[in-house]
Amino acid sequence: MKVSGNRKKRKVYDGVLQGITYLFSGISVVVLLALFIFIFSKGSGLINSDLLKNDYWSQNYLAETVNSTSGTYEKPSDLSEEAYFSSKWGIAFVDHVDAHKEKQILVEYIDEASPLAAMKDVSIKTDIKDFSLEVGMQIEKLQFTDVNDSVKLAGGIMKQNAQQLAETLDQSANTIQSMYVKTAGGGIRGSILSTLYLLVVSLCIALPIGIASAIYLNEYAKKTRFNALLRSGIETLTGVPSIVFGLMGVTVLFPVTQLFGATTTSILLGSFTMSIILLPTIIRSTEEALLVVPQHLRDASLSVGANQSQTIFKIVLPCAVPGMLTGILLSIGRIIGESAALIYTMGTFISDQPTLTTQGTSLAVHIWSVMSGEQPNFELASAISIIILLFVLILNFAVKLLSKRLSKAWY
Amino acid sequence: MEKYVRSHISSERNANKLRKDQILKTIFQFAAIVSGSAIVLIVLFVFMKGIQPFLPGYEAGQVNFAEFLFGTTWRQDQGIYGVGYIIINTFLSAFGALLLAFPVSVLTALFIAKIAPKWLAGIMTTIVELLASIPSVVYGVFAAGAITTMIMNLANSFGVVTAGGSSLLAVVLLLAIMIFPTITSLSITAIRSVDPTLEEGSLALGATRTQTNFKVVLISAKSGIFAGAILGIGRAFGEATAVAMVAGNKLFGPTFDLFDITRTLTSTMLAGLKETTGLDYDIRFSVGLVLMAVILISNLILNAIKKKVGNHK
Repeated sequence: MKVSGNRKKRKVYDGVLQGITYLFSGISVVVLLALFIFIFSKGSGLINSDLLKNDYWSQNYLAETVNSTSGTYEKPSDLSEEAYFSSKWGIAFVDHVDAHKEKQILVEYIDEASPLAAMKDVSIKTDIKDFSLEVGMQIEKLQFTDVNDSVKLAGGIMKQNAQQLAETLDQSANTIQSMYVKTAGGGIRGSILSTLYLLVVSLCIALPIGIASAIYLNEYAKKTRFNALLRSGIETLTGVPSIVFGLMGVTVLFPVTQLFGATTTSILLGSFTMSIILLPTIIRSTEEALLVVPQHLRDASLSVGANQSQTIFKIVLPCAVPGMLTGILLSIGRIIGESAALIYTMGTFISDQPTLTTQGTSLAVHIWSVMSGEQPNFELASAISIIILLFVLILNFAVKLLSKRLSKAWY
Repeated sequence: MEKYVRSHISSERNANKLRKDQILKTIFQFAAIVSGSAIVLIVLFVFMKGIQPFLPGYEAGQVNFAEFLFGTTWRQDQGIYGVGYIIINTFLSAFGALLLAFPVSVLTALFIAKIAPKWLAGIMTTIVELLASIPSVVYGVFAAGAITTMIMNLANSFGVVTAGGSSLLAVVLLLAIMIFPTITSLSITAIRSVDPTLEEGSLALGATRTQTNFKVVLISAKSGIFAGAILGIGRAFGEATAVAMVAGNKLFGPTFDLFDITRTLTSTMLAGLKETTGLDYDIRFSVGLVLMAVILISNLILNAIKKKVGNHK
């Protein structure tokens, strides 16, 4: 009787513990799902080719018409239904709400023969250039004269929408004199470029140093105190918070970038800093690959008369290729996701024309830039997050595939 | 000797080959020294720059070290830099996160390693790996958008007003999510490496599967699990971008109220970073120095505890 009672109690107790385990294991699933749902629901609206192609900062133009008289233009048959067409001027507008929730009027279509297609850019009075209105530009202000030759304004500044603007142009505009135009902004083209620069330069520095270090530690180094010290030094690097790497970058590496002509924090400085952050990752994955290369391959190579460098370059390294590839993939993931160190070393100014020696933002820092202002821009931040997540997922998958290959000899 | 070396191998070429070998070795060794000494450079230079504001003759006015270390106000605009309460806040948020993440991580690891069928364990491992690979800035966006909204609603139901949800609780939750994969993956390794004969012995003595899991497997793996916790708390201390997005940067403290805004060492280093000269910039290095000291000291303490509670083998 006593035993069966105990057993019952035990069963309940076990059941509770089991239940808690199941419940807690479910939490990670919930968190991951919540994160994905949040990021995708916020950001997917912005994901399109414009986001990738456009500059972040919009350019302003004051443009005057060369030929200010109207004509008759035909509405193109494939014009979308939301667009409003002005048949007198051969131009169509759509309404648009930007990431800051502001209403805008954008050019949806423009006839090649329209007088608005060929204008003069008079933004700088001394430097007048040709200017053509393009699809996607925002009409902020439009100055026209009506039949009585009096000057009137139209466009976003007059709180008009696309339909009203098209109607105004058709009904009352006699000549169009000038307009104030903004190019579409909010894109991440510059940041994508910066990220590419960052990737290339930091990998170019970190890979040779990292692989060489791994070769030394694995192939040459004897078990001395000094080598053990080197090893623990490299291991300690993994535990250093990335923001401290940022501090190191601006003190230690900034003078180095000055030799290349950098005057402020720059993409080059970010790359240098990044390459040090990557070192432990690359060294570890290369070493892991070198360790599984069978010793008898080295012995065979040496015994037929190859010296050690020949053995390393022709026998050992080719066998370790998958491991090095894993290191590269992990490094790419780290570079794309890194933010704290880069905020210090690359600056947070979003640049549309990044060069190595000027400031620029990687995609992750771009997110920080738009999030740390007075008005955090969740839509853009989430859209960039989607891009980053996509990359990270692909890289993760590739690493998994590679490590499967790595576990069995491929040579 | 001569007769063993075939005549068409010139000793000159041989010597050349060996010389090349030596050069290459030197290059490799140099690379290894560069990688190994990076940490020394980091500590040295951050230290040198970090103590500058406390040295006499500092151009923007010397800062009193004791006031810096024990101060309870951080006002950049007034030139008051006290990092004492920030240290307490950092400890609070990091250990709060550990408190939340530790049981969840350990039980998830137990589930993956011992309880779940193989296919489910595979899926769960992938989920943990995915969580580990998500960059901190993405967690930051998630926290600033979703976690803060959740906390705002929670606080409203208690009748508490929060600063848009930015709060100590938000930081703790965020950090708990971020250190969860670290602790879990190390715990999985630790649990998997438990000697199966121990389990079999326990089962043979009549303990149930669950009893064995909790009383034998987890206890035997506690050393490895503890190592995971140490790594996790290191990550919690050093996490910057995501924390800075939800911390709210309180000007004085320390913050004990879960719904009140807080300020951690890392969020202080990132907040309002504009100028790259002057005291406001240099003091960030001092904060970085404090951060490194905090991590080092807590690591030492935790390792000492680990030795105490860990399994002596």
